[in-house]
Amino acid sequence: MARSLAGFLVLLLVVSICEAASLFQPVSDSHRSAALELFTPDHGSFKSLEETYEALRTFQIFGIEKKPDVTASACRSISETVGSSTSTSKDLFYALKANSIAECKIHETASKGIISSLNAAVSAASSLLDFYYSVGGLVLIKDQSSKDDIHLADAEGVFRSVKAFSQSDGRWRYSSSNPESSAFAAGIALETLAGIVSLASSELDQSLISTLKNDISKLFDSIEKYDDGTLYFDDKLVDGYEYQGPLSITSSVLRGLTAFAAVTTGNIDLPRDKILGLAKFFLGIGVPGDAKDFFYQIDALACLESNRVSIPLILSLSSAVLSLTKKDSLKVRVTTVLGSNAPPLTVKLVGAFSSVSKDASLVESQELKFDQGSGLHILNDLLKSIDVGSYTFVFEVVLQEPEDEKVYVMGSQTKVPIFVTGLVKIENSEIAVLDSDLGSVESQNKLDLTAKNDVSLSANHLQKMRLSFQLTTPRGRAFRPHQAFLKLRHESKVEHIFVVGNSGKQFEIVLNFLGLVEKFFYLSGKYDMELTVGDAAMENSLLVAIGYIELDLPEAPEKAPRPPPQPVDPYSRYGPQAEITHIFRAPEKRPPQELSLAFLGLTILPLLGFFIGLLRLGVNMKNFPTKPIPATFAVLFHVGIGAVLLLYVFFWLKLDLFQTLKVLGFLGVFLVFVGHRILSHLAAASAKLKSA
Amino acid sequence: MKSLSFFFFFIFIISVFPFLCFSFNPESPTDRRVLVLLDDFSLKYSHSIFFNSLKSRCLNLEFKLSDDPSLSLQRYGQYLYDALILFCPSTKKFGGSLDLTAVIDFVDSGHDLILAADSTASDLIKNIATECGVDFDEDSSAMVIDHKSYAISGTEGDHSLIVSDDFIQSGAILGKTKIEAPVLFKGIAHSVNSANSLVLKVLSASPSAYSANPESKLLNPPLLTGSAISLVSVVQARNNARIMIAGSLDLFSNRLLRTAVQKAGSQDKYHKSGNEQFVTEISKWVFHERGHLKAVNLRHLRVGETDEPAMYRIKDDLKFSVEIHEWSGKNWEPYVADDVQVQFYMMSSYVLKTLSTNGKGLYLASFKVPDVYGVFQFKVDYHRLGYTSLSLSKQIPVRPFRHNEYERFITTAFPYYGASFTMMAGFFIFSILFLYNK
Repeated sequence: MARSLAGFLVLLLVVSICEAASLFQPVSDSHRSAALELFTPDHGSFKSLEETYEALRTFQIFGIEKKPDVTASACRSISETVGSSTSTSKDLFYALKANSIAECKIHETASKGIISSLNAAVSAASSLLDFYYSVGGLVLIKDQSSKDDIHLADAEGVFRSVKAFSQSDGRWRYSSSNPESSAFAAGIALETLAGIVSLASSELDQSLISTLKNDISKLFDSIEKYDDGTLYFDDKLVDGYEYQGPLSITSSVLRGLTAFAAVTTGNIDLPRDKILGLAKFFLGIGVPGDAKDFFYQIDALACLESNRVSIPLILSLSSAVLSLTKKDSLKVRVTTVLGSNAPPLTVKLVGAFSSVSKDASLVESQELKFDQGSGLHILNDLLKSIDVGSYTFVFEVVLQEPEDEKVYVMGSQTKVPIFVTGLVKIENSEIAVLDSDLGSVESQNKLDLTAKNDVSLSANHLQKMRLSFQLTTPRGRAFRPHQAFLKLRHESKVEHIFVVGNSGKQFEIVLNFLGLVEKFFYLSGKYDMELTVGDAAMENSLLVAIGYIELDLPEAPEKAPRPPPQPVDPYSRYGPQAEITHIFRAPEKRPPQELSLAFLGLTILPLLGFFIGLLRLGVNMKNFPTKPIPATFAVLFHVGIGAVLLLYVFFWLKLDLFQTLKVLGFLGVFLVFVGHRILSHLAAASAKLKSA
Repeated sequence: MKSLSFFFFFIFIISVFPFLCFSFNPESPTDRRVLVLLDDFSLKYSHSIFFNSLKSRCLNLEFKLSDDPSLSLQRYGQYLYDALILFCPSTKKFGGSLDLTAVIDFVDSGHDLILAADSTASDLIKNIATECGVDFDEDSSAMVIDHKSYAISGTEGDHSLIVSDDFIQSGAILGKTKIEAPVLFKGIAHSVNSANSLVLKVLSASPSAYSANPESKLLNPPLLTGSAISLVSVVQARNNARIMIAGSLDLFSNRLLRTAVQKAGSQDKYHKSGNEQFVTEISKWVFHERGHLKAVNLRHLRVGETDEPAMYRIKDDLKFSVEIHEWSGKNWEPYVADDVQVQFYMMSSYVLKTLSTNGKGLYLASFKVPDVYGVFQFKVDYHRLGYTSLSLSKQIPVRPFRHNEYERFITTAFPYYGASFTMMAGFFIFSILFLYNK
């Protein structure tokens, strides 16, 4: 179920990719340049002999001159592998394969050694791949040394033991222990069996060959199909061995088939369209980007080109777009898949159908002229009867020699989509503002749609705007382009698009602003106008600015729809922000220094006044105690007061509150003590004086 | 016994080893394991150049059919892949445990996604795109058509193979080298959701483009026209997951990568389209080989000190520095820009300053702490087009002056001082004279 679903999806995909009907191009120059790009030797040599062979083979098919350094390094590794006694038959096989193209000299003794070791490998072989490498090696050495004495001793026996791997559905197993059958193995088996046939000293039993032919047709019955006639082989996805992918599997089957057809006499009966389907598969892939896949594709195409069953021919157009202005002629090329010329044949244009009305052919059946020099089939005066548009042309190819019918295969009819393009005449274009009720023209402007226009109009919601123009094809008929849009863009970037309708040649659109007020979101202001007319058949598609219209629309009612948000420019969303610096609080204003100092001076004046007053009063110290003990206490008391005041000065200068209080505590206790003594002494003295 | 435990340890190390090598880690953000879902294995051949360029950059691609019943993005709660490529436009339902939610969860957990659609795109694929903020044209038969800027081609005449050179101007997304040749595109249109600020149009259509069915006549104006059509869009989520959405699967195909291109009406011929450079560069961006930033060593100092303080006082002079590096795909390289900014932030930014750089990834700024106290933050919010966002913040309290840190012996106060001291002097003398005068 999943499988068939996958197949269906594949089919959809391919249809979408190859929408250009069934037009396949043969191998082109892009393949050639891709070959040189993909097969670039690393430091003058390839990683393995297998890769060397693939590169050399691809270059050979394309006729690209081998670079001498590649050949030299290839020869070195070939002779190393061939000379070594530890080489496996796989190594030998690829060495010999590479040598079949590089054509290096192999020592006589070495080649004898190889023959014996390969012969031993054949007899010891137990799996399909063992047979494949050893038999293949022998075939290659036979071809290269042009010695006729290389034979398989028991060709028929070997044939039978390889044949034992075959399955009833035409697929093969890799070994007798592996139950999985695959089409890839079938290709390998066919190639091996072809080798055995060519190595056999005597004619093999014909019944063996015919059962094998039967197997091949069974194998081709299990071919998978895309919707457009493309055919390929595929294997079930199973774990246990590496899944090869349809490209290598199909390529392997083709290689086997070609090899087998080359060594057998008589026809291999295969439906011819299957070969054509396979050719389409390989051409439809395009240019693979992987060296391995690229080799599979090119090798398979080379097999198709040279096989004995049937050689597919491909019809291709040099251009599917024909221009009336350039007076292009219809050029068709029929080639083989690799792009070499086909045998003499005639190409007929059977019909041309317009994509609009598909029933009647527009042209009569006619033959294309063959141009010997360019190898093209050309129809010159076709375009005289055909107008611009898109068409489907139907071609038929007939081989001139009946002999070739057996060799080549070609689809019965090829349908090709063709576009005929030309310059479309644009006339009578004008734009006008109309008064709604009367339809009277208020202002009218002629337009030139080939260049930028600068019309300025103004209208209110009770008026209408009319834009009209005419389109005519080069043949004078009405032309209906696919794209005819009038775009109105408000200053706030809200866009409105209208399709310009037509009746015959005349295109006209009338915008009744009364009905559009809501659609325009009640946005008054300037609307830029742009007209786009384009079609696949139109060579002068245009996108032209008309100018602007100043619309005066009524105020939006409360429930009116809001215009949609417009996308923000991504560049403005990112980018640095404006810098912010903090503004510090300004320091408070202070009076000038002189003023402060003047007031400082003023504060000293009271003290001076105090002193003067004291002098005036005539103060004395006569009451100072005369006895030593009270005198000491008096001195200590005043020193203490001085110390407290000094402490305040220090508090101001540097000390903190705690230090000050601590000192003040001691000083306080001291002051209380000495103060009490001196004050009580003074009080006692004055009491004594009073009582006395 | 000892040898047995050693054996188990060895097995553990061996089993963990692959995860150590291939799992995503913030120190090397490039994706390693990529799951590629295809409709059909033939896409491996037809798109092999793109896949090979990914493989050559050491990405480990795993190809699976989109309906493979064994599909799963996570096992035991661990994601098995770092990125997902959905080259399966027509898939209506994924196989295995994969579905729309699983894909969105994958992205939400910081993984990357490349999605390519084409005219066969299924609702599933369109829904994934919608979740990412990109709306494909609802008309399933519509394609992007452009009758002005199409590619001149011998085989295709319906102008649905269009060329575009309207790239986003971002070195992070599209690389430093300018893409000279225009990009070929054949597929469907989408528009980016204008409410979503994370979506970016990377490749836009020309003003004359529109999205419609080329086969049928247009009766109503198409939904998407002109430059509003996005051909390729990218999303960088807030968790730095990156998503690329293209309306064309052919954009990545060998055929378009290798085609010579000539734009209609232009004389310039290019022997190769810009597609290869475009898809390679943008895939580098998606897989975090470019534009991934990290910030380290965020430091701040009081001028003249060497240790980071735990607190600043108002009006302190401070120096702020941070190192920013960009991941180059192999190693971290210094990131050079002149627009990295730092904010000193409490409820709103008090200071916003552009950092100066030494050109080796170190960014410096010095400023004065504002005269407002409270708990501040150093914030570096760096959001640039194409780069991962940096959002760093470091909290730091700011205190006012202490009582002994104010200015002393102000001249203006001298009269008060003078008054006090003369008062004290007067008191001292007065106390002596008062007691002993007779």
